[in-house]
Amino acid sequence: MNCYLATFHTHVGALVSNRSLGTAGLKTRMMPVPRKLSSSCGTCVRYEADQPRLDLMDPDLEAVYIISDDGRYDRIDVTDPS
Amino acid sequence: MTKKINWLVLVTGLLTGAAAILLTAFGNPANMGFCIACFLRDIAGAVKLHSAPVVQYLRPEIIGLVLGSTIMAVATGEFKARAGSSPATRFILGGFVMIGALVFLGCPLRMVIRMGGGDLNAFVGLAGFFLGILIGIFFLKRGFSLKRSYEVAKSEAAALPGIMIALLVLLIAVPSIFIFSESGPGSKHAPLLISLAAALVIGGVAQKSRMCMVGGLRDAVMFRDFNLLSGFAVLFVTVLLGNIILGKFSGFSTYLQPIAHASQLWNLLGMVLVGWGSVLLGGCPLRQLILAGEGSGDSAVTVLGMIVGAAIAHNWGTAGSAASLTDGVYSAGGVGTHGKVAVIIGFAVLLIISVINIQRSKKEVK
Repeated sequence: MNCYLATFHTHVGALVSNRSLGTAGLKTRMMPVPRKLSSSCGTCVRYEADQPRLDLMDPDLEAVYIISDDGRYDRIDVTDPS
Repeated sequence: MTKKINWLVLVTGLLTGAAAILLTAFGNPANMGFCIACFLRDIAGAVKLHSAPVVQYLRPEIIGLVLGSTIMAVATGEFKARAGSSPATRFILGGFVMIGALVFLGCPLRMVIRMGGGDLNAFVGLAGFFLGILIGIFFLKRGFSLKRSYEVAKSEAAALPGIMIALLVLLIAVPSIFIFSESGPGSKHAPLLISLAAALVIGGVAQKSRMCMVGGLRDAVMFRDFNLLSGFAVLFVTVLLGNIILGKFSGFSTYLQPIAHASQLWNLLGMVLVGWGSVLLGGCPLRQLILAGEGSGDSAVTVLGMIVGAAIAHNWGTAGSAASLTDGVYSAGGVGTHGKVAVIIGFAVLLIISVINIQRSKKEVK
């Protein structure tokens, strides 16, 4: 099981994706975007899954990061989820 | 997971509080070391967008905050040209946020500075501000969005910083083209270089820390994350201690507070308008300046909307008037009919914007 963090262009994008991930039975929660990832004060979704599950993401998805055990964020290439 | 408090947010709160005390000691109006709403209003007056004689001055603090953010963002590779997220709607929201702030007589930043100065009226404003944020969150949770921004030409990002540089050059080279108040709050100001230097520092650290009163309360309510809010807690304590140390603190009271009135219903409702509008915008007036400084064309348009809102507030007499004591005669000040009507219209406009911009179905967000 990996830990991921998804950022979005809009708050509603995070909201919808958080709901989709939760409905799929994944452990997920919304939170402010970590400062080291962005100077914006938007919201993101942190979730645990075997795969990034881009199929469950809102079209306003900006990026997905995999969080390593030491807390590092590594960006995953995201093809247009829409 | 532990929710860590970022030390930079605390430092930003400390420096902003210290700068507010310093700027007041050097000449800014009492409990107004910083006030984004008041200072944008003064600038609107200085460039003759309104003609209220007591609130006209080209505040270097606004210039410094924007350019401090720009310098920090460029230095750290975070200057990004983005725009296209409902700019016209943001302009209107900016205008109504300003109208609400000028009914209360202060932006969220000055609200906290007033609280630290012992002004109990500002605590009523805080209650209204919090209520407004809850209304905004209600719509956020139902799918409200002004839609995403996009990468745009660098000239979009440079627009507001460019305007600020132009105003600074004109202020130094040909100050006579501006109007400067000879009495009232607009006549009280710290020396230009001190104001500019203090604001450059605050603009830089605010860009780095993302300090935002609206974001702070939003994160606290929605995520139980108190990181951004902690900066304002430090700001309040710093201003309170600063006032006590300088002998300016005489207890908490609603009576005859500096540039404030005790019309509590309208203190409350004015700040409801500010809180609600700011949640829809995604940040308080200070945050809009900082985001504009780091390249957001949407925030630049919001700031221009706030300037126009300030001009309307004084041209049409919607701004609150401060309580005063002149030659032993007490005037309670307060909010006139125009101001009350403007706040009610503001609620109607915000409700329409909030409902129209719900972008997802109930099924998607519930």
